[in-house]
Amino acid sequence: MDDLLADFVAETREMLEASGGEIVAWEADPSDKARLDTIFRFVHTVKGNCGFFDFPRLEKLSHAAEDALSECRAGRREPDSALVSAVLAIIDRISEMTDAIEAGEDFPEGGDDQLIAALQPGEDFEVASAAMQDAPRETVTANEDTSDEAAPKAARANPVQRSIRLPVDLLDEVMKGVSDMVLARNDLARRLREAGEQPTIDGPFDRLSTILADVRTAITRMRMQRLEHLFSSLPRLVRDLSTELGKQVMVDFEGGEVELDREMIEMVRDPLTHIIRNAIDHGIEGPGERLKKGKREIGLLRFAARQSGNQISLVISDDGRGIDTVRLAEKAVAAGIYSRAEIDRMSDRRKQHLIFHAGLSTADTVSSVSGRGVGMDVVRANIERVGGSIDLVSKPGEGTSFHLKLPLTLSIIAALTVGSSGQRYAIPRSYVEEIVFGSSSNVEFAEAGERRLVTFRGKRVPCLALGDILGTEANEDIEWEDKTLVLIRLANEEVFALAVDRVFDHEDVVVKPIAPAVMETRLYAGTTLLDDGRPMMLLDLPSIATSRLLMNEGRSAAPVVEEERVEARRKTVPIMLFAGLDGRRRAVRLEMVRRIDTVSREAIDIDGRRMQAVIDGSIFPLVGLEYGELSEERCRLLRLSDGENEVVYAVGEVLDAAEMEGEIIPSHDDPLIEGVTLIDDAPIPVIDGHTLFARHHAPRRTEQPLTCRIPADSDWARTILGPLVEAAGYRVASDGDEDADVAILLAEQADVPAGPARSVIRLRQEPEGVGEDAETIYRYDRDGLLAALKQARFGRTA
Amino acid sequence: MTQLLLQCLIAGRQAAIPASDVQSVIEVDEITPIPRTPDFIRGLTALRSQALTVIDCSLALGLESAGDQPDQRAAVVEIEGHLYALLVDAAYDVGEASSEPVAVPGGFGPGWQRAARGMVETETGPTLLIDVEALIAGPLEEAA
Repeated sequence: MDDLLADFVAETREMLEASGGEIVAWEADPSDKARLDTIFRFVHTVKGNCGFFDFPRLEKLSHAAEDALSECRAGRREPDSALVSAVLAIIDRISEMTDAIEAGEDFPEGGDDQLIAALQPGEDFEVASAAMQDAPRETVTANEDTSDEAAPKAARANPVQRSIRLPVDLLDEVMKGVSDMVLARNDLARRLREAGEQPTIDGPFDRLSTILADVRTAITRMRMQRLEHLFSSLPRLVRDLSTELGKQVMVDFEGGEVELDREMIEMVRDPLTHIIRNAIDHGIEGPGERLKKGKREIGLLRFAARQSGNQISLVISDDGRGIDTVRLAEKAVAAGIYSRAEIDRMSDRRKQHLIFHAGLSTADTVSSVSGRGVGMDVVRANIERVGGSIDLVSKPGEGTSFHLKLPLTLSIIAALTVGSSGQRYAIPRSYVEEIVFGSSSNVEFAEAGERRLVTFRGKRVPCLALGDILGTEANEDIEWEDKTLVLIRLANEEVFALAVDRVFDHEDVVVKPIAPAVMETRLYAGTTLLDDGRPMMLLDLPSIATSRLLMNEGRSAAPVVEEERVEARRKTVPIMLFAGLDGRRRAVRLEMVRRIDTVSREAIDIDGRRMQAVIDGSIFPLVGLEYGELSEERCRLLRLSDGENEVVYAVGEVLDAAEMEGEIIPSHDDPLIEGVTLIDDAPIPVIDGHTLFARHHAPRRTEQPLTCRIPADSDWARTILGPLVEAAGYRVASDGDEDADVAILLAEQADVPAGPARSVIRLRQEPEGVGEDAETIYRYDRDGLLAALKQARFGRTA
Repeated sequence: MTQLLLQCLIAGRQAAIPASDVQSVIEVDEITPIPRTPDFIRGLTALRSQALTVIDCSLALGLESAGDQPDQRAAVVEIEGHLYALLVDAAYDVGEASSEPVAVPGGFGPGWQRAARGMVETETGPTLLIDVEALIAGPLEEAA
C-alpha cells in the first residue's frame, strides 16, 4: 500500500480510537461544547486529508458532518439526539470505509445520501421524526452492508494495525543495541577462530550471525524514509520561486518510493533547494524567451531518484538554457582563478565544472534568489561531506542536469582503512582516487623547498606523509619508497598524495561524532569502531589539506588528465599492468583484482606443486610462480577474485592501471593467457581469469554439507579416511545415530549395522575384489572412492 | 543538602565528582591514542559500541599525571552528547556531601581552582568538588 495512504489510515484510526470515548460522552450530553469540538476536529481532519486522495465519498460524508457540526459550534443550531446519531452513523461509516481502504477493497455503493440527509436540521417535530425514520432505515442498510461483506470483513479484522508510530530515539536505541550485538558477535567469532574448529558450536554460531545481519538490515530499513517526504515540499518552493521571478515552471517527480535515511534526507534538503533556485533563476528562461526559442512556455524541472546498490542517485534536470560556459570562463579569468591560456585548454565539460568553483556565478545581478556568492561550491562540499558526489551535464539551449550520488545512510560511510605508526585510520573512500606503491618504478619523489612532490603517470602532485601530519614521524626520517601512496581528490579538484605505511581494506564504517577538544585538532571528522571493538579515527582530509595550505597551491594538470581518462573509460576496459616474476609485463583485468598485498616470504608455502600463501589468517592458492623465483624478503601478491573464490598471483612489481582500448588478440598456445593487447604500442599478454579460476578455485563449501559416517572404531578410518571425506566436501557425522547422507563401511566389518544413511559405500582390504566383493571399493582406490562420494552427492541434489 | 558524590583520588588529592553526572565507573585497559590532541586527552577507549574520549584528570588540571597504570579506573560522564572517561588515580565509594561547596580563602592552588566548584565536607574529610565541564576543557582553556 502507498506510504501516504498508510499514514492516512493510521492517523484516521488513531483519531477514531481517541475520539471513541468523546463520542459516547457527547451522545450522553449533546450540549457539551468540548466534546463537540473534538468530534468536529476529527471530521474536519478527515475531510482535509481526503483532499490529498481521491476519496469523494469520504470527503462528502465528512464534509456534511463538518457543516452540521460547525452550525452547532456557531450556535445556529442546537445539537439534539437526532443529530448525534446521524453524526455517529457517519463516523461509523468513515471507520468502515477506512478499513476498506486499508484492505484495498471497494466499499459498497449507496447509503451515503441517507446518512447525509439525516444530518439535516429538524425544523420541528415532523422532520425530526423523518430523521428518526431515516435512522432505522440507515441501520438496516448498514446491516445489509455488513452482511454483504461479512466474509471479507472478518478476514481483515485481524491485520488491523499495519503500522505504528515510534519515536526515532527508540529506534536509535535499538540500532545501538544491535551494533553492540554485532561487536559482541565479532569478538566471539575471533575467540572461536582461535579455539579452532568446533562443529557443534560453529553451526549455531553461523546461524546467529545470519540472523543478526538480517536484524541489522531490518533496523536500518526502519530508519528509512521515502524520498516523497522530501519531494512533497518542493512543488511549493518551485511555485514561490517561479512566481517571484516571473517564470512558469512545472515539476515532475520520479522515484518518490526510493528510501533514504531520515537524517540524509535532511542533509540533502538545503543543497537540493539551492540547485532548484539556480535552475529556476539561471537555467529556465522567461516565458517570452522560451516561446521565441520554440520551447514550451512552461519550463520543466524534473527530479528522478533511483537506488543502485547502497547508493541513491538523484538527478535534477531542467530544460532551460544550459550553462553559459563562455561567461563562466570569463568570470573565472576576471576573478584570477584561471589564466586565459588555461581556460582555452579546457574542454567544455571542464568549463561547466567551473560552477563548482568558489565565488563564480553566471548571474550578472544578485537577485534575492541566487547569486549571493554562496554557490555550488558549498553545495558540492555539503554533498561530499555526507559521503556523496555531484556531477553535471549541460547542453546549451537544452538544459542542465545535476547528478547526485548519495550513500543510503548518513552514519555509514565507505572507508579505506590505512595504517600509520602502528595505528589504523579511516579515509572516506569517496576521496580516494588511486593507490600506488611508493616503490613502484613509475613513481618519482621530488622536493621543492620543504614541499614533497610526487610524480606519477605524468602528474606532479604534493605529497603529505600521514605520519608527519599526525606528528608521529618527522618528514626527514621518512622512507618514502616504503610507503603506500593514496591519491586523494578533494571536492575542489585538488589532488594530493597521502603517504601511509599500509593500506588495509575497504570497510563500511559507522561514524560517530567526536568530542570538541578532539575536533579542535582539525584532523579528524569522527570516530568509528573496528570489528574487534577498538576505536579508529576518521581523517578529515579537506581540513588537513587546508591546514597544509594545499587548497590553493600546487595546482596541477591533474583534473584535465583525469577528465580525458573519464572520457576514455567509457569505451575501454580497465586493466592492471604488472611485471611477472620473470620481469615481463603482463596485465590482468582490473575488475578481478580485489586488492594488492605484500607478504613476507614466510607466509608462502611451497611444497612440490602445491603452492599457498597466507594473508590475514586465510590460505589462498598461489599462482604465477611458473615464471620465476620469489624474492627472498617481501613478496607482492595480487589477490584475484571471481566473486566467490580467491587466488593470489605472485608478481614482481605492480606497474600501473591502464585502459585496454584495442581488442584482445586471442592466444591459443598458452591457456593461462587470454590473449595479447596493445598498451602504449607494446604487446601485453592478458591473464585468462577463466582458466586461472578453473584450475585453482577451492572447492566451494556448500551451505549445508552432506554428512558422511565413517566407522568409529577404526583408526584407519579416523586418520586416513576422515580427512579425505572432508576434502570431498562432506562433514563427518559426529554421532553414530545421526541421519547421515552416506555411510562408509569396511568390508571386514560386514556384520556391523550401517546405521541410518541414505547410501552406503563399502571398502575392502584387497586391491582385487572377488565375488560378492565386486560391489566394494578398494580402500586405497582414491579415485573410485571420490567418484562414489560424488555420485552420492548428485544423488541427493537431484 | 545531600548531594551524592563519587569520591576519587586525582593527582594524589581527595576529589569528588557529582554522582548524578557519572554514568558508570569502568576499568580502562586499552587506549587508542589520538595524535595531535592536547596531552590530557589520552585517546579513545571503547565501552560497548561507543567510543569514549579518555581524559587524564591530573593532566587536565595541569598537574603531574600518574601515567599508565594497570586497571586504571575512569568515571564515565556525558557532556553535550559526548561521552568521556575521566581517568582517576583511584575511585572509591559514592558518599554524601554534608555541606554546600564553599570556597577556601587563598584558593585551592593552581589548576584546582579552575576546575573545582568548591570544597565540601564528607565523611572522609574535606573534598574538592570537581566541575566536570571545566575539567574536560583542559588547562589550555585557561591559557587562552
